[in-house]
Amino acid sequence: MKRRIAIAAALAATLLGAAACGDSGGTTAPSTEGKVDGAGKTIKVWLMVDAESGWKKVVDDANARFKAETGADVKVEYQQWANHLTKLDATLAGAEVPDVVELGNTEFAKYVDAGAFAELKKDEFENSSTWLTGLSGACELDGKTFCVPYYAGARVLIYRTDLFEKSKVEVPKTLAELKTAADKLESDNKDSKFGAFYIPTNWFMAFSFGQRSGGKIAVKEGDKWVGQMSQPAFQQGLQDWVDLHKAYSKADPAKDENDQAAIFAQGQAAMFYGNGWEKGSAEEIRKDPNDPESELVPTKVKGKLALAPMPEVPSFLGGSNLGVTQKSANQALAAKWVKAFTDTKSMEGLIAANALPNSTALLDKAAAVEGMEATAQAAKNSWFPPNSAKWADVEKQTVPQTMLRDILTGKKTVQEATAWGDEQINTILNAS
Amino acid sequence: MAGKKGRKPSADEQGTVTVGRSGLGTVVANTFGVIFAVVMIFPVYWVLNTAFKPAPEVLQFEPSFFPEAPTFDNFISAFNAPYFVDDLINGMLVTVFAVFGALVVGFLAALAIARFSFYGRKALILIILAVQLVPLVALLIPLFLMMQKVQLTNSLIGVGIVYLVLILPYTVWTLRGFIAGIPRELDEAALVDGCNRWQTFWRIILPLTGPGLVATSIYGFIQAWNEFIIINTFNSPEKQNLMAWLLQNQTNRGTAWGPLMAGAIITSLPVVVFFLLIQRNIATGMTAGAVKG
Amino acid sequence: MYAVDSPATPRQHRPSGGHQRLPQRGAVKPKRRKNDSARTPLLLAAPALLILAALLGYPMFRMMQLSFQDMRLRQLLTGVTPPWVGLDNYTNVLTDPFFWDVVRRTATFTVVSVVLSVVFGLAVALLMRRVARPVRLAMVVAMMFVWAVPQLVQAQIFKWMVDTDFGVFNYLLAQIGLDYQGHSWFADPTQGWIVITTLVIWAGIPFLAITLNAGLTQVPKELLEAAVVDGASPWQALRRITLPILKPLITIVTTLSVIWNFGLFTQVWVLRDSKVEPEYQTLGTYSFIQAFGQSKYSLGSAIAVITVLLMLGVTVFYIRQMFKIGEVD
Repeated sequence: MKRRIAIAAALAATLLGAAACGDSGGTTAPSTEGKVDGAGKTIKVWLMVDAESGWKKVVDDANARFKAETGADVKVEYQQWANHLTKLDATLAGAEVPDVVELGNTEFAKYVDAGAFAELKKDEFENSSTWLTGLSGACELDGKTFCVPYYAGARVLIYRTDLFEKSKVEVPKTLAELKTAADKLESDNKDSKFGAFYIPTNWFMAFSFGQRSGGKIAVKEGDKWVGQMSQPAFQQGLQDWVDLHKAYSKADPAKDENDQAAIFAQGQAAMFYGNGWEKGSAEEIRKDPNDPESELVPTKVKGKLALAPMPEVPSFLGGSNLGVTQKSANQALAAKWVKAFTDTKSMEGLIAANALPNSTALLDKAAAVEGMEATAQAAKNSWFPPNSAKWADVEKQTVPQTMLRDILTGKKTVQEATAWGDEQINTILNAS
Repeated sequence: MAGKKGRKPSADEQGTVTVGRSGLGTVVANTFGVIFAVVMIFPVYWVLNTAFKPAPEVLQFEPSFFPEAPTFDNFISAFNAPYFVDDLINGMLVTVFAVFGALVVGFLAALAIARFSFYGRKALILIILAVQLVPLVALLIPLFLMMQKVQLTNSLIGVGIVYLVLILPYTVWTLRGFIAGIPRELDEAALVDGCNRWQTFWRIILPLTGPGLVATSIYGFIQAWNEFIIINTFNSPEKQNLMAWLLQNQTNRGTAWGPLMAGAIITSLPVVVFFLLIQRNIATGMTAGAVKG
Repeated sequence: MYAVDSPATPRQHRPSGGHQRLPQRGAVKPKRRKNDSARTPLLLAAPALLILAALLGYPMFRMMQLSFQDMRLRQLLTGVTPPWVGLDNYTNVLTDPFFWDVVRRTATFTVVSVVLSVVFGLAVALLMRRVARPVRLAMVVAMMFVWAVPQLVQAQIFKWMVDTDFGVFNYLLAQIGLDYQGHSWFADPTQGWIVITTLVIWAGIPFLAITLNAGLTQVPKELLEAAVVDGASPWQALRRITLPILKPLITIVTTLSVIWNFGLFTQVWVLRDSKVEPEYQTLGTYSFIQAFGQSKYSLGSAIAVITVLLMLGVTVFYIRQMFKIGEVD
């Protein structure tokens, strides 16, 4: 069923894209075709820190190829996830703006809607017909394309091989097997701090369970969004997640997943749910956390971790897109740089750095890389939140986080909390 | 005592007041005093403890009360972190600019209020008192839009000016109190001796307000040094201050507590040093100036 | 001439002692003195006035203006003048029950935290006068350090200490046999607010205790000694002599604490990791999130205007008191 939706969405996107081409005669979308002389010019690019710590080589390579083609230089400024939107607002309000900006896929729609980004010619970007719709959805508005998918992240099960062996449990293939395994692990590890499955209040995970049972966060009826979390389909999945949490997790219901790798590294849990790269964060910490090149110090769980797809549960597709700002003075150059940074060569570089590429066509390539099988698999079976310019506000208002916390602390039942959540979502998504 | 204007306060040199003193009472009081000091200082101690631990030792379910292998790594890490040194210098520049600017402008205005009667004086006093109530966060948007228009965002001067304005009302008010405390006889005597108005300000009032200027600068210094919302919104990381740096570092994925605490110590140091330098003026600055009539 | 003797008294003794004040009192007609005296004060005040008008006056005007418009991200980014919506923002805010929750919460927090801080601060100030010299020195040094730590850092320290997994608080409580291992301090908002209030009190005590202690040095020892001779208990001496003399100073530090705590922002922001749940919203965070989180700049401005009005209501007494002091000089 999930696959059918993805296909439909992709089809719709293609059709809309075609429509955009049809009437693009009058628009001024910067083209990446043809030669642009950028000698003496410098474009400014805002990427998030992940690129700096994860795949700086890919950035350097794209810059070099871009310079060879256009003669222009690139100045990359790496941004922190914390407060980057406040800073972006302030900067975009001014005259001196970056030419290219990276934003998270759930953040993009709001900016596209506000006219912050220039229209791009979708067809000119490599793999644009097979872009992951979870990423590209946020780029589309009224049949036009305003950004390019950059990379994706999918979440998987990260588990302790040593504890699994000791308890003689297999890597679970179903949710039922996962529970059996967890029960066994619990009974074999009696430390009062031990919890078989570390589950922080991570709404990506909880809502994935809602998707599994066939639920939705919200659907669009006409031009109105209607919250669907209080429907039994969603509630059932949420309840499964809550049961899992209650039975096996020692996590703080008021804490999100930000430091789950560090907590897991203490060795008091057998499984957690996270991005593929979090395995590395749990196994080794940087001697100097501010220096991406610094020496790595092994933790208690070094060499004892492995990845597996989270059984039966589709993954939330996180990731980033790149857009060319509306106020940029070098839109054509900027679009060319985006093209270089998102082409197959760059994507292969990302795969080598354990990030997922922006296209379904490249996912198989990723799946062939050792250690990436699980995440690539997860990305194929993924979901994403309602594609609305207001969705970012739902997150900002801490609706999912508060809803889950209230359930976990027993303040509200799943029914009460989801009813509250729907009410909030309806108000926010349909606000003028 | 209200009438004894000229009387020096009998600041009690001997230390304790003898009233109600008994052997047992003193022991109890001292015990409470020690407990209080320990409880107050504990968080500060914990910062130091964390800052000197190597990374693996910081993140432990069972924290140790002393670093097992003390190290300066966290401090080195903070210094090597992007923009740390820039932001350290920026913060100092902006703070010094704002405090000096506010003292100069504020002194003149305080002089006007304390020594003259003029049309609009009441209004000025009222404005100076009332603007202190406006929460800074509220002015962020309009201030930003305005500075944006005159191209003073992403600029240290822009932030410096904003800080100056933020501490100006308090500065004027406090200095007014200090100037009011200088007997007018001195002014008049100087005038009789042939000094003109400006010479009186320069030779009599300014030197006598000296300690007041120092005391007033405490508040301004703390305000400007500690501010982060404005600078974080207006400027990019290389043009921010240490507070903004700490904020960015804090919410980054998986907080690096060691370097963060080291950064916190470095951030607090200038204020500690400043306090030590002017410790005698602290209490007077906080009370006398603000309140003195 | 010091803190304690002025606010309550200026009116009684100033007129009689105000020999040099006469020119000023009568100076309603500005031409009384020399020629320059009309211009001099304006010249002196001009820089301050200009700066205040430009950088506080104008933004305040813009804040008011924005609160009657509907400014969103699009208007911010494109510079288009936002549409005028009249009182819509105010109506939306004032009819939203959640807003009133926030107001109630902010007010409750302010009252509780200010009362506790001032009582505790006064107790510490009194204690400082009864302890031996080295102990007092230790108390002052401890407070100076706390005072010197920037607010943001203070909040981060607390966040680190009450951390569920790595925090020293839970560890210490577990060490003394309580079941606090892995305890979440923020899952239950009541406990969360206890942490926030503790932080605010801890951070506020140095200012309060040191200021009040300075005030206590002004209480004439003879009076207290006489009271003891007359058989007054320490408690009576405190109530009958010390507190009345300290009253003006207490009023002022209380009002200042009200202003500061009412504007609570940083502590909540840091402790809740910039994802502030509904139960932790105060007027400060609420206005900020509406404006910068949701890009509803106009709604945020309206909330800010209402906040200022509420604050004015609470502090009008203080302003009047201060105004009187300023006026008489």
